[in-house]
Amino acid sequence: MASWLQRVFLIVPVCTALLWPVGSALAQADDPLEPMVAADIKRRTIKEDMLDSENFELGGYVGALGIEDFGSNTVLGLSLAYHINEDFFVEAIYGVSEARQTSYELLSGAVELLTDDQRELSYYSLAVGYKVLPGQVFISRKLAFNTHFYVTAGVGNTEFAANRYATYTLGAGYKIYLSDFFAVDIGMRDHLFNHQLFGASRQTNNFEGRLGLSVFF
Amino acid sequence: MPKRAFVSPPVAWLSALVWILAAVCSAPAQAGWFGSEPDIVVTVSSAYLDVYSGPGRGYPIHHALEYGEPITLLKSRAGWIKVATGRGFEGWIKREDMQYTLGPDGQVPEFTDEYRTDAVVNHFELGAALGRFGGADSVTLSLGYRFTRHLTLEASYEQQAGQYSDSELLSAGLLHQPFPEWRVSPFLRMGAGVINVNPSATLVDTEDREDSVLQASLGVYVYLSRRFFLRAEYINHHLLTTRKTNEEVSEWRVGFNAFF
Repeated sequence: MASWLQRVFLIVPVCTALLWPVGSALAQADDPLEPMVAADIKRRTIKEDMLDSENFELGGYVGALGIEDFGSNTVLGLSLAYHINEDFFVEAIYGVSEARQTSYELLSGAVELLTDDQRELSYYSLAVGYKVLPGQVFISRKLAFNTHFYVTAGVGNTEFAANRYATYTLGAGYKIYLSDFFAVDIGMRDHLFNHQLFGASRQTNNFEGRLGLSVFF
Repeated sequence: MPKRAFVSPPVAWLSALVWILAAVCSAPAQAGWFGSEPDIVVTVSSAYLDVYSGPGRGYPIHHALEYGEPITLLKSRAGWIKVATGRGFEGWIKREDMQYTLGPDGQVPEFTDEYRTDAVVNHFELGAALGRFGGADSVTLSLGYRFTRHLTLEASYEQQAGQYSDSELLSAGLLHQPFPEWRVSPFLRMGAGVINVNPSATLVDTEDREDSVLQASLGVYVYLSRRFFLRAEYINHHLLTTRKTNEEVSEWRVGFNAFF
């Protein structure tokens, strides 16, 4: 058994050592061609289409959503943004959460205003965002991350209590770019909509605090 | 004691596996399996160029490029271009500063700002819009494909939230732009689809209904930045109902479309 193991440890490095130069030699054999290829490249005109653009941003977030009168609960969401220029972006967000019982339901004990299905809440919003206060945060003397604040304003719909409500969404957040294409987002949104679940129409503010991650592509 | 002349099969497999793994790991660096595109290299043709730490004018300038210095263009984002110097230093330069560089052919790279219709042909287009559908608020998501300079095939999904009913509309259409080279370019769209109307749950029980819809719309694309447009349109929806009379709904809509 011991000799078998020894052979493994001997043969693997030997094989690697023997075959490695072959691989490198093959790669090097390409080298003499390079000047010819390079000469060909030299003639081309550089156009913007050749350059990879990273204007889209896809992200996910988790947070807490306070549904007015219905308690607060976890919210999970997805976001897709398109960065128009260094100042503006447009963003689509979609989130799901669930309403808890109102204090009236809890105190009365037996009353159920909504069924379980009706307690499920989902929303989406299409927003325009403005990036403000760009800068850097220093983690150590040598390591700094780019950051900026942003504010958003959007319109969308909320599906709740078997109804769809036209919803305005206001938001703000702080974005930390761990690399050029990977960012952490600490943000909040306020989803405003009117409902008549308690008789008269009333406007509700539904605040959401969230932590998200996003990638640019 | 006779020994086996060659390696036992498990050992051979193992060493082969190790070698393949090593080869695969080093392959991208050697042969560029994942990125076969050659580097885009330009040289600086002005006295100096500022390099910012991030894609925005508010980020600190932490480097300056010298006249004649070769730089590799890595990617672009929102009007900024990420570059790398020969010494491996990376940062962002303004897109407008590309006019102070020269390509390998001695020409200024083509980073034009004018509205070029060809830049969007054979590209997909993602759009989102808000509007007023009759008396209801509407939100629309659309996906299009521009297959010639003039024609776009488009599918869209729209939700309406009204006081007495909610509805959903799924449609497909063909869009024609007679003057695609204009910065503000009008279009005509014909489409058809299905609308599903659900009366509000707070009202007395009424039935959901599904109708076919024919659409004709007139609108305009406004060029905002490269491959990004504002789109405004007026749509006439003709609902083919199962009742005695058909229904007409007008809608105003405004939104953004991005080509990718």
